[in-house]
Amino acid sequence: MKETPLSNCEKRFLLRAIEERKRLDGRQCYDYRNIRISFGTDYGCCIVELGKTRVLGQVSCELVSPKPNRATEGILFFNLELSPMASPAFEPGRQSDLLVKLNRLLERCLRNSKCIDTESLCVVAGEKVWQIRVDLHLLNHNGNIIDAASIAAIVALCHFRRPDVSVQGEEVTLYTPEERDPVPLSIHHMPICVSFAFFQQGTYLLVDPSEQEERVMDGLLVIAMNKHCEICTIQSSGGIMLLKDQVLLCSKVTGVKVAEITELIQKALANDQKVRKEGGKFGFAESIPNQRITAFKIEQATIDTDDVQEQAEEIIAKASPPSEVLANPVLWAPGTAQIGEGVENSWGDFEESEKEEEEEEVAQDKSTTDDQTMEMGDTSVGNQDKKDETIVLSDSEEEDVIILEPEGAQKNRTETSYKQDIASKKPVSKKK
Amino acid sequence: MAAAGGFRTVEPLEYYRRFLKENCRPDGRELGEFRTTTVNVGSITTADGSALVKLGNTTVICGIKAEFAVPPVDSSNKGYIVPNVDLPLLCSSRFRPGPPGEEAQAASQFMADVIENSQVVMKEDLCIVDGKLAWVLYCDMICLDYDGNLLDACMCAFLAALKNVQLPAVSINEETGLAEVNLKEKTPLTIRKEPVAASFILFDSLLIVDPTAEEEDLATGTVTIVTDEEGKLCAVHKPGGSTLTGAKLQDCISRAVTRHKEVKKLLDKLIKSKKAK
Amino acid sequence: METEQKRFDSGDLPALRRILCEQGLLSRPDGSASWIQGDTSVLVGIYGPTEVKVSKEIYDKATFEVLLKPKIGLPGVYERSREQMIKKTCEAVVLGTLHPRSSITIVIQVVTDAGSLLSSCLNATCMGLVDAGLPMNSLFCGVTCALDADGNITLDPAMKQEKEARAVLTFAIDSAEKKILMSNTKGSCSVEELQQCIAASQRAADTIFQFYRDSAHRKYSKW
Repeated sequence: MKETPLSNCEKRFLLRAIEERKRLDGRQCYDYRNIRISFGTDYGCCIVELGKTRVLGQVSCELVSPKPNRATEGILFFNLELSPMASPAFEPGRQSDLLVKLNRLLERCLRNSKCIDTESLCVVAGEKVWQIRVDLHLLNHNGNIIDAASIAAIVALCHFRRPDVSVQGEEVTLYTPEERDPVPLSIHHMPICVSFAFFQQGTYLLVDPSEQEERVMDGLLVIAMNKHCEICTIQSSGGIMLLKDQVLLCSKVTGVKVAEITELIQKALANDQKVRKEGGKFGFAESIPNQRITAFKIEQATIDTDDVQEQAEEIIAKASPPSEVLANPVLWAPGTAQIGEGVENSWGDFEESEKEEEEEEVAQDKSTTDDQTMEMGDTSVGNQDKKDETIVLSDSEEEDVIILEPEGAQKNRTETSYKQDIASKKPVSKKK
Repeated sequence: MAAAGGFRTVEPLEYYRRFLKENCRPDGRELGEFRTTTVNVGSITTADGSALVKLGNTTVICGIKAEFAVPPVDSSNKGYIVPNVDLPLLCSSRFRPGPPGEEAQAASQFMADVIENSQVVMKEDLCIVDGKLAWVLYCDMICLDYDGNLLDACMCAFLAALKNVQLPAVSINEETGLAEVNLKEKTPLTIRKEPVAASFILFDSLLIVDPTAEEEDLATGTVTIVTDEEGKLCAVHKPGGSTLTGAKLQDCISRAVTRHKEVKKLLDKLIKSKKAK
Repeated sequence: METEQKRFDSGDLPALRRILCEQGLLSRPDGSASWIQGDTSVLVGIYGPTEVKVSKEIYDKATFEVLLKPKIGLPGVYERSREQMIKKTCEAVVLGTLHPRSSITIVIQVVTDAGSLLSSCLNATCMGLVDAGLPMNSLFCGVTCALDADGNITLDPAMKQEKEARAVLTFAIDSAEKKILMSNTKGSCSVEELQQCIAASQRAADTIFQFYRDSAHRKYSKW
């Protein structure tokens, strides 16, 4: 489905409000929306909510062989997905321009800034390294995807624990969480993206634009920074000209915002760790506010399944047992047989030309072999008889030629033959 | 006749209901009757095992190719079975060219599920050298003519082809460490279970066996039951559709058990005939 | 994890794990629900009935589209087959004929898989459909049963129990007549065991439908 376009009067309204330094949700120009971080029961799983924008992050790891030119470095892989859940305009599995742009920016922010110590991910140089995969799913799109995604990515990476390994000679042993505590990744610093939206050719500026504001903005500036005020990446898009002072102002604002967000992240991480250590309740279930009217909860409910057995027996007893009347298979040629007297299929001379023979054959089979008992001798005799009278499928012989058969060897035409059958089989092949 | 044809085109549902009132179907079958099932084994000479199954007009050919592979890291004593159902353009106008569609993918997954559930071939049997070498069986099922009940035809073709598989003996050369294949010594696979499928459609709470493509389109739901020779259930696959009571399901199972006996008889006879030759 | 501990305390009685559901938590979709069953967590977003692509248009009913998104990596054949099952279940229950030439898109995101995933997806979908206000002829719920080596039934198994089980059966049950809408089995079982699982699932379904009812009751309590 296409995105519902923003009408002209909506656009004008938004721009007028921005000119008056007002925002639809009541924020100030430099205000972020509320950020909420919740963790799942698995390590490396988190949901970040930035206002109504929601991103699910999950980190996973795998032992792989390293890239040939970087034998001692682990591999980092980022994948942001714009799920159709987030907005009806996102099509599943399509690499839109927006998606490519966001993924590139995320890689620059997190991989190229060397915030993760990739060398510590090496297990055996040149042979086995950890590949860390960060999957980010956008669940609800309400503007400023990149900030939410970058926070989710770094939080998930900080929260993640990989299984411990030990190397003895060439043997690499992986330990389950029960055997040895999993180890966290070594993270040097935490780069976080902050977005600035520009309006009226850069006259007005807003931090953390919402979805509607994004639609009327002229340009976007994204700065990724860590709490030491080191810029990791900076990107301006939308084709607006910015003055030096504007960029400097933005980077100053970024510094403040990043410090705030970093503090929040560390608090959230510490809190989760504390709860886990104390054996308290954790996971998404605990992060749903119970007082909310749309949420409902029941504790474990026992189900009375006492008379289930009787009920099942009753159903089975009532049902008609499988009928014993069976259709008899009709053998047409070695390797071809049929059951059922239902309709014939409508295509094929094959059946029509064989119809008579089939009937004959049934009669013959019945006379020679008693009700088609499947004695091996009987059937083989029957087959040979039949081959003499009617060559039903002349190429059925060739079907059995095995391609891998060595030349010069006695042609073992029957694939299914066992050794003890060889004697009985020879006359057959001679006949051909 | 022309009037009936017109009626069929304009009101297919009503046309079909008229037949059901008389307890029969447009093609003359009873409600619980399968179409003629024809099986030919060893149809493809280049495959290690193959079978062609015709269920009325529905035709499925299954070819099994055995290749070497390194066993998976987490279970070093296992081989692989890779089923794949292909619904090419030629079998019906309802399919589009390009990557496998939804139905083909669902059918492939169903086959993989049944193979896993029934343990038709133990994956341990496919291992040659622990942790080093194992067989991978690529089982390709290609539908040549699509007229409903794809799953039954695929299942039957797969089982017949599996019974037809002959794997050459493999030994490891001590000096070179390479595998040597002895093509003269061939052994059939050990088949532990014989799963056979029976499909039904639900039509206004009526159960109809072995639907044609036309019937499938009109139906409000399908059920596929796979049983093995002990009467155990390997799959009770009902992907949505109309509701069904446990008692009705029991009727389906009874029919599926009978169907299993029929197909088993057919396949046994076939394999015997191959051996005898 | 904490739920698993509790389960061992609860003795031998078969039980459903704790259930938690929040509806309407996403702002963009027309209906959304987060379903947490034990530690398994699923999020559903539903769009519809809306405009449909011409190629997918059906003249007398709504076009259903179900997307199941795994947490790690891209959806594969496994997801496709599960999507098909959920789609056909919804088609049987939602009155699509009331919205011809429109599309109903259901997006399911796996958040945590800790056993009984398919039944959680079904439950989440039903809650999402209710939240989206789509007309339905009955509700439905998913119940997973695991059979251990001795043939004992465990309802709503956790991941570990599912792995140890000889067979795992999942049913979708409708609220009107408690009949079976969908069935999916893993592993093999006898006919008796199947019928027992169906009967047990029907019992468990009562609890889940009661949950649906209480949840709706709470949601509209302030109107």
